Amino acid sequence: MKFQSEPNTSAGEFFELLENSGYRWHAKMEGVANQNGFTVPQGTTVLAFHFKGGVIVAGDRRATAGNSIMYELCDKVIPIDKYTLMAIAGVPATAFEMARVLSHNFEYYRRSQLQTMSVEGKIRALSKLLKENVGMAVQGLGVVSPIFATYDPIGKKPKIHFYDMLGADFQIRTHTATGSGSQIIRGILEHEDLWGEKPLIERTREEAMTLAIRLLQTAALFDSATGQARPEDDIYPTLATLTSEGYRFLGDDETAEIFKTSTQRG
Amino acid sequence: MFEEPYRWMEAVSTRHNYVQEKLKMGQPVLAVPYNEGLLIFGFAPQPGKIYEIYDRIALGGVGHPADVERLRMNLLDMAHLEGFNRSAEDVTSTRLLQFGIAPALKQNFEEIQRAPYIVRLLLVELNAQGKPNFFRMNYDGHWETFKNGTAIAGDEKVMDWLQREIQKQPFATYSLDQALQEASKLWNESRKLDSDNDEDGKENDVPETIQEAFDQWYLEGAVLAEKSLSKAIYRPLSEDEINRLKSSTI
Repeated sequence: MKFQSEPNTSAGEFFELLENSGYRWHAKMEGVANQNGFTVPQGTTVLAFHFKGGVIVAGDRRATAGNSIMYELCDKVIPIDKYTLMAIAGVPATAFEMARVLSHNFEYYRRSQLQTMSVEGKIRALSKLLKENVGMAVQGLGVVSPIFATYDPIGKKPKIHFYDMLGADFQIRTHTATGSGSQIIRGILEHEDLWGEKPLIERTREEAMTLAIRLLQTAALFDSATGQARPEDDIYPTLATLTSEGYRFLGDDETAEIFKTSTQRG
Repeated sequence: MFEEPYRWMEAVSTRHNYVQEKLKMGQPVLAVPYNEGLLIFGFAPQPGKIYEIYDRIALGGVGHPADVERLRMNLLDMAHLEGFNRSAEDVTSTRLLQFGIAPALKQNFEEIQRAPYIVRLLLVELNAQGKPNFFRMNYDGHWETFKNGTAIAGDEKVMDWLQREIQKQPFATYSLDQALQEASKLWNESRKLDSDNDEDGKENDVPETIQEAFDQWYLEGAVLAEKSLSKAIYRPLSEDEINRLKSSTI
């Protein structure tokens, strides 16, 4: 640990502190036109939608590299701070690094400036990281497509944003999904919201959990890069909610119970 | 001017006197364990005594606000860089003090051409096993560790008295409300000690009792509580908790 005679005074900017310490978000990769024949782990289905009282963010657990299944216990819904969750699709190395930078960025800002970063500021911070990652993304080494859910203390409601590869953000009022399996479930989400028993925003927490589990199971039926739950191995999707109380991840036992009832056929 | 050892020692001794005199009006910050974590609190004319440093670490400070702020920023920088580059578990109070600010503070204090830091710091942590650790650091880089709580104050007599009294009570068995009440009583008693030593107390508008402190100053307090759902376990005392203390003491 290094005592700096001049501490960071750049208004709580953790990224600048990191760069001053010698860290580089991405080393330059000049002369590399594309990914040069090797494959990086990616593939996913993550989703988020508003329900009565909050937002649910969910994701499957599989990581793939080309046709290979690399890992079945990947956590793709990541807590950034008490009121922010990020769901990641794309290259895990880049996505996890983004999450770590953001988490430290928000907490460093809050602790150093003695106030929470604004919702706009948080959304912009992820845009900035994505923009700086474009070079890696176009080379096929670092494509990340995140969903960002954060609670707005002024509007007193959670917000969901998704981003394009260049860093543009789009706020979603109902639902979104991303990753290789997302196309399979986006239609179902829209159908459920428009013609289901009730709109998504009116569903209870339990109803939201049930729908999220069914959607992820459906995506896994059609997309090989999305992992199905494996109850026999205690592998279930990741489910988290975001409310005025902050984020809450479902424990293993609770997830197992909801999974059991959700996947029973009528 | 300082080529003779005696001159240098004399200069260092003068710096001690200078800093101690400057610190004298610094109001106490107490840190004690309770049955679910640890509590840190103090009264001050304006907020700026208690801070969150990292997920499981908090800071209390007395002295010149600009010096407290400079060291706070250094602690924040060190903690967050370490937490990012390695892991949150590698960010500990011991490492922050022993390898971070203590050597720098000592060097700064003994380089007598440079302005000394006018500070005393209190660093507390609830470690990964849920055990509270208490550290006290002097302006010259000297630091001490305590198991059952500690206190800092501008006046060394007050600080030593608070330290002795904190050790006499089983704070770790108290609820948060009890710990807050008992620690506040100690703060109140220490005012009498301070007033005995300082006849100018009234002239300086320093509250002599906890009742006066509630009327004129801010109570700043926070807990590091194991029961928190978040990984950052620091939280300021709630209005309800402060009001309960107020009604129990007034």
